[in-house]
Amino acid sequence: MNNLLKKILFLDIIKGLLITFKTIFTHPVTIRYPKEKKEPEEGFRGRHAFVRDPETGKERCVACTKCAQVCPSQCIYVDFSLNVETGVRVLTKYEIDALRCIFCGYCEEICPVNAIVLTEFYEYASYDRKTNYFNKESLLKNWDEFISQYKGNEYINKFWYLPGINRMRLPVGKRQPKPVPIRKIAGVRD
Amino acid sequence: MGQLEIEKLSETKFVLQMGPHHPATHGVLKLYTEFEGERVLKIVPDVGYLHRGIEKLAESKTYPSAMTLTDRLDYISSMTNNIGYCLAVERLMGIEPPPRAKYIRTMVAELTRLSSHLLWLATHALDIGAMTVFLYAFREREQILELFEKICGARLTVSYPRIGGVRVDIKEKVLEEISKFTEIMLNRIDEYEGLLTENRIWISRTKGVGVVSSEEALSLGLTGPALRGSGVYYDIRKLIPYDAYSEVDFEVPLGENGDTYDRYLCRIREMKQSALIIRQCIEKMPEGEIIAEQTIDIDIPHQGKRKISAGDSLWSGFIKFVDEKAELIPPGEIYSAIEAPKGELGFYIVSDGSGRPYRMRVRAPSFVHISAIPKLCEGHLLADVIAIIGTLDIVMGEADR
Repeated sequence: MNNLLKKILFLDIIKGLLITFKTIFTHPVTIRYPKEKKEPEEGFRGRHAFVRDPETGKERCVACTKCAQVCPSQCIYVDFSLNVETGVRVLTKYEIDALRCIFCGYCEEICPVNAIVLTEFYEYASYDRKTNYFNKESLLKNWDEFISQYKGNEYINKFWYLPGINRMRLPVGKRQPKPVPIRKIAGVRD
Repeated sequence: MGQLEIEKLSETKFVLQMGPHHPATHGVLKLYTEFEGERVLKIVPDVGYLHRGIEKLAESKTYPSAMTLTDRLDYISSMTNNIGYCLAVERLMGIEPPPRAKYIRTMVAELTRLSSHLLWLATHALDIGAMTVFLYAFREREQILELFEKICGARLTVSYPRIGGVRVDIKEKVLEEISKFTEIMLNRIDEYEGLLTENRIWISRTKGVGVVSSEEALSLGLTGPALRGSGVYYDIRKLIPYDAYSEVDFEVPLGENGDTYDRYLCRIREMKQSALIIRQCIEKMPEGEIIAEQTIDIDIPHQGKRKISAGDSLWSGFIKFVDEKAELIPPGEIYSAIEAPKGELGFYIVSDGSGRPYRMRVRAPSFVHISAIPKLCEGHLLADVIAIIGTLDIVMGEADR
């Protein structure tokens, strides 16, 4: 009897309509994308960059090729020459095919000197493939581009030191990572 | 049209090739369907359009690298895929993650279950004709993806768990946010129920559609909510508890009739249980390590053991190999299953002692569920086929692998 009354009075439909009616008075959850932009969270895995060392002004990479070893999609190419006198490796070629990258973040996690980083920059779609084929210079340029938009005085990526992990498990250079101070110097780009 | 021609038409079988590009087939599923009028005579599912060879690819990658492939199996619940794979390797190696990692894993797995069920509810309702639920469910799913972004830096292909624990710790602030979200979520689930559960259109479209008895469901190999909708108590979280599931209280909702409506109710109740599990995990979460001591590094070589000693410089440390035939992972084989949102997700891994899996086989619930479509569609109308595909919760990335 109760059910019949409910059916005649369309109570089930009215119950649903009330919910949709209430929603009219709530704020929209969507954003108007090109005008408003969503701030990526801290540690978002976006476009690759080489950290520009504040002391030397160059990349920190020591050509250990660990990133190329762990990369699941094998999109990193590293080449180096050996300085015979000092025995130091000199990075000659570093290329990342960002179109093949799967953004797992293994490279920045394994890097012993915190040289490579996946920045929080995500708008880098392009009309040609060449633009997203990064080499040493463009990776440094990516860093400058990212830093110029970055709000804050220091930058540190959580995959550099892996919060919560026993520090002694990490290589020496990552046990106490120093945040990169950001000095916005004019003329660093180009 | 003469009488004779009409009779002829009614006798003629009507063949429809549904898919592979059809919005209601949830991906690239193709169904060869034969109709008599509007009644289904025969259905033959055709799979394989999204085959990427993940099982074969895993054989060429080291254990940590192969984990990133599992993200792409069931791409809307990548967290549970990762956990399933990591658990299989952990059981093979005989290690156990520390308690905090276990709780974090349980929490993120339940968040994924929420997200996967929300997407199922959204698309299932949209297929049947309820547009509003689609928009509401995606509103909440976006919040879950944002939480994932805060936890691990990626929204969809997370690669968050690690063999022997998890990758990074979760901040206290994010945990609070998740606990706030569960409160919102519980209210929202009531909202979805208000829109659908008693709605007469929803009931007439789902009640009595795709009925499968408990014996049939078991013999078809259905798992997860599709099996529990028929009233079979089968939940790996309860039967073979992994991670922290043995330490949290939750119920396993069961259906009675085994039709689309019961499976819907099952999943809705499961979502409520998930929200409660997340809350318990946050309350009980202990402090401490997040990764086990005996875990393997992500840069393990393909074969042989790497020699690392304190005296070695950074340069030579990883180039030297000692004993090329050393065993990195104990040789053997293992089948380990977890309760993914879709059903039983199993990983069968054979190890020959090297750093790479000798063979990886995935028991994907979606693949098994697709084989149940012909049985479930028997004698139904064309429109019900869409409802049945929706209720089985199929993701083709997992079925074709």
